[in-house]
Amino acid sequence: MSSRKKTLLKVIILGDSGVGKTSLMQQFVNNKFSHQYKATIGADFLTKEMLIEDKNVTIQLWDTAGQERFQSLGVAFYRGADCCVLVYDVTNSKSFENLSSWKDEFLIQANVKNPDNFPFVILGNKIDLEENKRAITTKKALSLCESLGNIPYFETSAKENVNIEVAFDIVARNALQQELENDAEFNEDYSDAINIHINGEQSGCAC
Amino acid sequence: MDEDYDVIVLGTGLTECILSGLLSVEGKKVLHIDRQDHYGGESASLNLTQLYAKFKPSKKPDPKLGRDRDWCVDLIPKFLMSKGELTNILVHTDVTRYIEFKQIFGSYVYRSGRIAKVPANEIEAIKSSLMGIFEKRRMKRFLEFMASYKEEDIQTHQGLDLDQNTMDDVFYKFGLETGTKDFIGHSMALYSNDDYLTKPARESFDRIMLYLQSVARYGRSPYIYPLYGLGELPQGFARLSAIYGGTYMLDTPIDEILYDEAGKFTGVKSGNGVARAPIVIGDPTYFPEKVNKTGQKVIRAMCILDHPIPAAPDVDSLQIIIPQSQVDRKNDIYIAFVGSSHNVCAKGYYLAIVSTIIETDRPHIELEPAMKLLGSTVDVLMGISELYEPKSDGTNDNVFISKSYDASSHFETTTDDVKDIYFRVTGQPLVLKKREPIEEEDR
Ligand SMILES: Nc1nc2c(ncn2[C@@H]2O[C@H](COP(=O)(O)OP(=O)(O)OP(=O)(O)O)[C@@H](O)[C@H]2O)c(=O)[nH]1
Ligand SMILES: [Mg+2]
Repeated sequence: MSSRKKTLLKVIILGDSGVGKTSLMQQFVNNKFSHQYKATIGADFLTKEMLIEDKNVTIQLWDTAGQERFQSLGVAFYRGADCCVLVYDVTNSKSFENLSSWKDEFLIQANVKNPDNFPFVILGNKIDLEENKRAITTKKALSLCESLGNIPYFETSAKENVNIEVAFDIVARNALQQELENDAEFNEDYSDAINIHINGEQSGCAC
Repeated sequence: MDEDYDVIVLGTGLTECILSGLLSVEGKKVLHIDRQDHYGGESASLNLTQLYAKFKPSKKPDPKLGRDRDWCVDLIPKFLMSKGELTNILVHTDVTRYIEFKQIFGSYVYRSGRIAKVPANEIEAIKSSLMGIFEKRRMKRFLEFMASYKEEDIQTHQGLDLDQNTMDDVFYKFGLETGTKDFIGHSMALYSNDDYLTKPARESFDRIMLYLQSVARYGRSPYIYPLYGLGELPQGFARLSAIYGGTYMLDTPIDEILYDEAGKFTGVKSGNGVARAPIVIGDPTYFPEKVNKTGQKVIRAMCILDHPIPAAPDVDSLQIIIPQSQVDRKNDIYIAFVGSSHNVCAKGYYLAIVSTIIETDRPHIELEPAMKLLGSTVDVLMGISELYEPKSDGTNDNVFISKSYDASSHFETTTDDVKDIYFRVTGQPLVLKKREPIEEEDR
């Protein structure tokens, strides 16, 4: 969140508890997957450098840290987001039904300037699980994405690393687009934010 | 919620959130509840709808003020000292990664109907309109004394003993005039009355030092301020707590606080759920029968402006202190002024929060000297808060209650309360450690 000068893209990942938000981030950034279910502890945000159309960007993926479990994410969490990823579990229809509430919640809390143009991406996760467990068909998912405003849709598996790179590539592109539009509007606002360091030295010393 | 925890925290004010964060980082299992649907309790920043609902329920905000959520109006006007303890805690816990800060442009003091910048170094002292030519030299000598003072080098003490001499003795030693004492004591040492003059000089010395070092850190003023308002602070610490496993439940009324036969805290009841823990930390509003009124009441006037302060037209943010002696009062009046460059209101607007400790039964009249400095206002919303403190220290009932946020202009008393509660809860003094990098291996 700190410096707006280098291209830093803040992406937040929302969805019901257990759909695989943390797993998707971990797979994308650290190429890791863990089976053992543990409600997310210790996950803050993960960053990854990416090359988007010849531009180096840092993508910062914010995890909900479990505060979403009782609808207790504060407004601060949403500030400055450039893209929002909505995740559901293809074997869990409740998590699918909640997608549009998550989208509404985001738009209310994040106070985005143009709600109709704000980039979302929807991920249907856990497609590695057996076909007979599947609760939501691709067709049904696509039709929801269309009705919510032609939101890009990917079916992913954090476990088998399916479609994660492509999905986050779109996330990053759309976030970059959003960030550039935003920047044009409020350049000066972020110009003199200060950097607090432990020794209190100001940043930017030429020595 | 039907579980056992190590600590239950009630209310998401800044004090509670810092403690919740610190305890979670140490591995305690924390349940943190607020009856309101937003973070911050008494130290929240409100959007326009929330603000009007609380302070002017009969009126709707004027649509020209723009989007509701462009506004973050602090309930408690304070700034962070850039070298203060809250900054220190923010840095050590890495909560700085969730919050962006900007400087406050200036620190001003009121003298004879006008305002002037508080000089914070020798060069500013020489330029200052607050002092005549000879007084400037005396002030310069005082600042040089402050800058060169070393505890272990008695030569630098200039014959003063900070534990024996009073602050008045120190002022006398440098021959400083009453007006100069006033701005040193009130706008640098940040005392809101004159009691400090007759006390040992040590505390005043430390406070002036904190002021000078804080100015030296970023240059313009000793103060920094979070973009989007002070309400970001409790949320930052709440996130810290959540990341270390703290459970958050907003919008959750507490129906009953449970005690055993000996009167010790055992848990809380909300709806059909019961959460148990041996210890509870909370703000005074959750324990009305366990707190006393301090006798002090604070009035705060939140003023919406569409222009900067007339006497400082180029300044986007500032603090003005009106020392009590200047306006024939017992307590200082503070103005905290921030605007859209700190993302607390819509473009083109500013917020001035005027506050003081009430001395008469017509408190809004008491604010008049400050209101005059502001010029025209778009709207003014006023609130009066009674200040509370816990009746006991929590050893008997394991109920640890924070103090109300006082009228001071910074967070030093808040962090004192945090440390004090931390000590009573854990039996250990708070030692800040750099936050460990989060372990990813065993996930
Ligand atoms: N089979 C399969 N399991 C997955 C996949 N992604 C996540 N999981 C499992 O689903 C469980 C929940 O995953 P998390 O990543 O912790 O879910 P979350 O959305 O972060 O949950 P909260 O932190 O509680 O909000 C874990 O046991 C994961 O191992 C996947 O793609 N396939
Ligand atoms: Mg998670």
